Amino acid sequence: MSERKYAYYPGCPSGTTAMEQDMSMKAVFEKLGIELEEVEDWNCCGASEVEDPEIVYALNARNLAIAEKQGLNIVTPCSICYYNLSRSNKALKGNEELRARVRSIDDSLAYNGGVEVKHVLDVLVNDIGIEALKQKVEKKVEAKVAPYYGCYIGRPPETAFDDPDAPGLMDRLVELVGAEVVPYNYTKTKCCGGPLMMTRQDIAFEMARKVLEGAKNAGADCIALACPLCGMMLDAKQPDIEEAFGIEIGMPVLYITQLLGLALGIDSGKLGLNKNIVDTKDIIGKVV
Amino acid sequence: MIKTWELEPNFKYEIMKEPGGEHLTSCFQCSTCTLGCPLTEIVPGYNPRKIIQMSLLGMRNEVLSNPDLWVCLICQTCTARCPQDVRIADLLGAIRRIAEREEEAGKLKIDSVRPRFDKAFMHQLEKYGRLYDFGLAKEYYTGREGSFFKGMMAMSKDYKAFGMRLFKKGKMGPKALFPEKVKDREVMKKIFEQMGAGKK
Ligand code: SF4
Ligand code: SF4
Repeated sequence: MSERKYAYYPGCPSGTTAMEQDMSMKAVFEKLGIELEEVEDWNCCGASEVEDPEIVYALNARNLAIAEKQGLNIVTPCSICYYNLSRSNKALKGNEELRARVRSIDDSLAYNGGVEVKHVLDVLVNDIGIEALKQKVEKKVEAKVAPYYGCYIGRPPETAFDDPDAPGLMDRLVELVGAEVVPYNYTKTKCCGGPLMMTRQDIAFEMARKVLEGAKNAGADCIALACPLCGMMLDAKQPDIEEAFGIEIGMPVLYITQLLGLALGIDSGKLGLNKNIVDTKDIIGKVV
Repeated sequence: MIKTWELEPNFKYEIMKEPGGEHLTSCFQCSTCTLGCPLTEIVPGYNPRKIIQMSLLGMRNEVLSNPDLWVCLICQTCTARCPQDVRIADLLGAIRRIAEREEEAGKLKIDSVRPRFDKAFMHQLEKYGRLYDFGLAKEYYTGREGSFFKGMMAMSKDYKAFGMRLFKKGKMGPKALFPEKVKDREVMKKIFEQMGAGKK
């Protein structure tokens, strides 16, 4: 294991809708002996609602500058936070004039380009490594899993850290925990619809329905994912989607850190598995 | 039919000046963006390639008043596949911002609630530095429905079941009910005041 400590950027839903993602992230890293030190007093990355790239860069210059002071690289469990932090990092590192402009707004935005930003999937598979993780695996999760990637993991190209058409980092973690990856290529990288949830619910639901039904038709016992917005759409909104289309899905949705945590022998309560909206008992029952 | 006398040839430069719009003229109209876009299965006639073509031709009014601008998911599929690095997802964002400024100036009526939602979202960041779901919902629904009371009715219709579901799972604690604030909120305000297109 190369790095022993990261600056942890939890993202806004970490205390509310995605608290189980936050809990499982912390539990897994604790078990792996890797320290997470929260980016002190972090601010929102801008999500998908702040559309002006320059405002996104300035917002994240503050987060990056704080991590730089802490002397740590950033890890985040949210795909959108990752995208915004990472593209800001690239833009600021590569553009002296932009850095100066941002710095002139406020001293707290003075960032010197000394931080790397990583998504938790990247850290688990590429920094820590499958071999090292294997040594910590205590249990097997005998479930059929649909690994769902959504956006910002394999695209856009400048911040992607996995293959755009056939991403595989999550598949490898699913295999590692002893689960079976179901054939799921068509929907694996489709958008969950999240960005339109509040403004065009009809389209958002249609997008999410495809992802959920794709997993169901592939014979999955659960979906694994790595983004709180996807989690909200596919898990928390699942009953609404069932109602809107008059269908029954009943598909448990786990954050990848929850699934990995089960294989690492961590207690399901500590992984927040009682916080997921669709009941996860059946998956917990498959841990041997 | 294109009314050639109504074309605004400078429209492409206007877009290219907007952050995200820089690569517009690289497009060679191959339609890879449209063919891979997940919205084409859901929204009849949705066609980012065509929006680009119309922008290149200078069909400013048609482009800025096109309701399809507001349904893009920013999923980046088109950007990842475009052979010409046009960066369509960012480009559509650049066009949306031009449209929003036109609306603010009273020259355009946007047929979408999305600008209102995005603005309400940004207000939360300006005020608190983090997203405050209740604050966002309150501002968005009140503005959308025209009054606080109607807004709360609409919100409760959309979110009652959802809220109860979260509550039962213990996800409606103090962190959901009260805004989480960053300590240095002055800087958030300054960012929104000083950054962004046209504020150089
Ligand atoms: S994929 Fe790129 S080059 Fe092809 S039509 Fe779309 S924007 Fe133009
Ligand atoms: S970013 Fe927008 S236009 Fe591009 S593929 Fe996604 S939904 Fe379609």
